[in-house]
Amino acid sequence: MTITRTYTRLALVLLAVLLVWLSTFTVSESDLVIVTLFGRPTRTSADAGLHLKWPLESVMRFDRRLMVYDPGSSEFLTKDKKNLVIGSAVCWRIVDPSRFLQTVGDVTGAEMRLHDLVWATLAAAIGRVDLSELLSVDPGRAHVQALGDQVRSAATVETERRFGVAVVDLQLKRINFPEQNKYAVFSRMRAERDRIAKEYRAKGEELAIKIRAEADRQRSQLLAEAYRDAEKLKGEGDAEAARVYGQAYGRNPQFYKFLRTLESYKKILNEKTSIILSGDSELLKLLTQGKVPDGAR
Amino acid sequence: MVLADLGESPALPPPALRDRLRDVRVIAPIVVLAYLAAGIYIVPADQQAVVVRWGKVVDSRVPPGVHWAWPSPIGRVHKLRVRETRRLTLGLDGVEPLNRSQFLSGDRNVLNIRLVVQFAISDPAAFLFRAQDVNQLVANATRGALAQVVAARHVDDLLTTEKVAVQERVQQLAEATVLRYECGVTLLGVVLDSIVPPDDVVEAFRYVAAAREDGDRIVREAESYANGVVPVARGEAAQRGEEAVAYNTQVVNAAAGDAARFTGIADEYAKTPRETATRLYLETMDEVLPKIDKTIVGADPKAVDLQFVKKP
Repeated sequence: MTITRTYTRLALVLLAVLLVWLSTFTVSESDLVIVTLFGRPTRTSADAGLHLKWPLESVMRFDRRLMVYDPGSSEFLTKDKKNLVIGSAVCWRIVDPSRFLQTVGDVTGAEMRLHDLVWATLAAAIGRVDLSELLSVDPGRAHVQALGDQVRSAATVETERRFGVAVVDLQLKRINFPEQNKYAVFSRMRAERDRIAKEYRAKGEELAIKIRAEADRQRSQLLAEAYRDAEKLKGEGDAEAARVYGQAYGRNPQFYKFLRTLESYKKILNEKTSIILSGDSELLKLLTQGKVPDGAR
Repeated sequence: MVLADLGESPALPPPALRDRLRDVRVIAPIVVLAYLAAGIYIVPADQQAVVVRWGKVVDSRVPPGVHWAWPSPIGRVHKLRVRETRRLTLGLDGVEPLNRSQFLSGDRNVLNIRLVVQFAISDPAAFLFRAQDVNQLVANATRGALAQVVAARHVDDLLTTEKVAVQERVQQLAEATVLRYECGVTLLGVVLDSIVPPDDVVEAFRYVAAAREDGDRIVREAESYANGVVPVARGEAAQRGEEAVAYNTQVVNAAAGDAARFTGIADEYAKTPRETATRLYLETMDEVLPKIDKTIVGADPKAVDLQFVKKP
């Protein structure tokens, strides 16, 4: 084996390697590839793996992964003329590499177009809704996501057609009032807090008054019922007593009158009473006349 | 490659050996073996590997251990920490300007919210090849969900009772979004780390909390008043009832006693009316007359000059 033969062989091997190198290309999972012949696109490929091409064809790669573009926050005007600062995040990817190549060329160019288009679509969409359709405590009235989706679908139709770029998602990630409105917003918030605080106190007072009134009412009711029951019971006692007395005294009214009169004497006659007694009286007859009654002999 | 191996090494081997080394039949197998040996790789215990050949994923989940794959430029091995919980903090953390962490509630109040989202890789191949910046996608999806959820709720609910519900809802929405991105991650949790009113109005919110306390206190005081008044009234009522029972008993028994006594005397009277009457009369006089001022006149009371009756 001579040196010359060795080099000839080597040259052949190298040539073969070069030929293989030039006539194959790989497509990664994250790539979109355009094959061009003298700058003119011949085909595109999205299949990951090893591919063949003519040695004179060249390959351009584009990233087909999902990309995020943050256009920053801008101020928008709602239908009811309220200023809002809205920040969005645009998720996009290249879907048509040849159109992408022809119209925008690279990611920076795409982001510029996306910015303009998304901004305009968002501005139009926000201009069609009232603030209360974005911020609302009524169930189903706040349509933040719906607005985002609406802008996304409107934008993606344009971008796919014009730039070969799909807008996959649009999130409204910031909704805020502009800085210059903050003072007014905070004043309103403070006033609202003040109102709520007063409401809490007033409600407390209201409830407290109700509770006290209820307690007082219960108290009066309890006492009144007790009075009613007590008087009834006393009356029953009195009635019973009267019946018992009546029954007893009714047996001899004459004697009752006599006995009761004697009782009255005991009560009405006292130290202050002066009485003039006739010597003739039944009690004193014996004293004054010395007469012994007939029956006593 | 073959060319490189044929280059002159600095220390020239003896001619015999040199000739042998130049022999392609010897060199080629060595080169091929060395190349193949470069394909041996180790996946550590906490990782998984994705194997790519000619740019295409051929094995998306290589478990930990020793493996072989085609080395570069044919193949490539990406190792990923799949078990690792990734964590993103949104808002208030100094990385972002303060006003970026502000959200508007449904009743148009401004709130500063800091939120932590945790996620993990669920599909390593998708994680590698479907998105450029997965962290940013997750952050945006979560932030969008948060803005949306907060925009539909009362500030008071957000600050007090609804925190858990908000977390769940945000996770639900963000998860759906992330799933749509197909970027190979799954959300593990969303935690509202901090949710506070802006500094300019925080005092007013504290004032409301104090007012609520005051309201509660006023009510508690009234309740304690009620708890004092009603039982006392109940006691008074019971006392009145007892008194009535006592009165009733007393009156009825007194009547019964009086009646019995009267009946006794009346029975005696019925037997000897005159004597009993006389006795009772005289007994009464015994009792009554000693106390009183008496003047006894003659049999004819008309003849008495009352002037002579001395007054005590």
